[in-house]
Amino acid sequence: MIGWLTALLAGMVTGILSGFGVGGGTLLLVYLTAFAGVPQNQAQGINLLYFLPAAAMALPAHYKNGYIHRPTVGPAAAAGLAAAAVAAWIATAMDVQLLHRCFGGFLLIIGMRELFQKEEGQTPEEKTSEEGRR
Amino acid sequence: MKKRSKWTASALAGGAAGLANGFFGGGGGMVLVPLLTGRCGLDQRRAFATSVAVILPLCMLSAGIYWWKGGLDFVLALPYLLGGFLGGFLGGKLFRGVNMVWLRRAFALLILYGGGKALFF
Repeated sequence: MIGWLTALLAGMVTGILSGFGVGGGTLLLVYLTAFAGVPQNQAQGINLLYFLPAAAMALPAHYKNGYIHRPTVGPAAAAGLAAAAVAAWIATAMDVQLLHRCFGGFLLIIGMRELFQKEEGQTPEEKTSEEGRR
Repeated sequence: MKKRSKWTASALAGGAAGLANGFFGGGGGMVLVPLLTGRCGLDQRRAFATSVAVILPLCMLSAGIYWWKGGLDFVLALPYLLGGFLGGFLGGKLFRGVNMVWLRRAFALLILYGGGKALFF
């Protein structure tokens, strides 16, 4: 029961971030593999399922706020679907330990990039978010 | 930027996100957002929100393939699904008031921890 509640909480916290689009899914994968001891392939499956309600619940608000850039969505989703199909196929056929190592490499790359990135594409209304900070 | 080259840039960004999404079952946003701000010229807030819209269909397809190949455990996933449902809703609501910079710094550290652990232990 405790484990179940912890899982619910982990899903909720990372879900907020997924709703932002900031990498909640990546974080949930880290939680599952590094803290909860779930095998890499199982964790990936959970993460994919978890993102569906998280994204579906966040999208209406984004749409209403006018943050969805529609001309980008079509081509990006079309190419993404083709790439995802191939990649998912390979991943599900791969050795789990190797997949786990690849994931580690991927995390290090994006982690370093996140840490040292320069600020770009600040929104004009970014000032309001400064005020919104606790 | 010309319309055509913007289309290509969007498609390439989406393709890269698709690779991450299918292969790692996540992390598409981490790939997509910087490409949207850098290559496609979207501002940060728009890039984040747009990436959610792009990645949702990718997740559906990847999840379908994982399921087909026998890689989905629905019972294990259920609490995370419920959590994601609640969290996603809150995320959409809170999005306007959040400070992006500190949020991303905090993540970077957690992600690096996970990466180190996966690679070396």
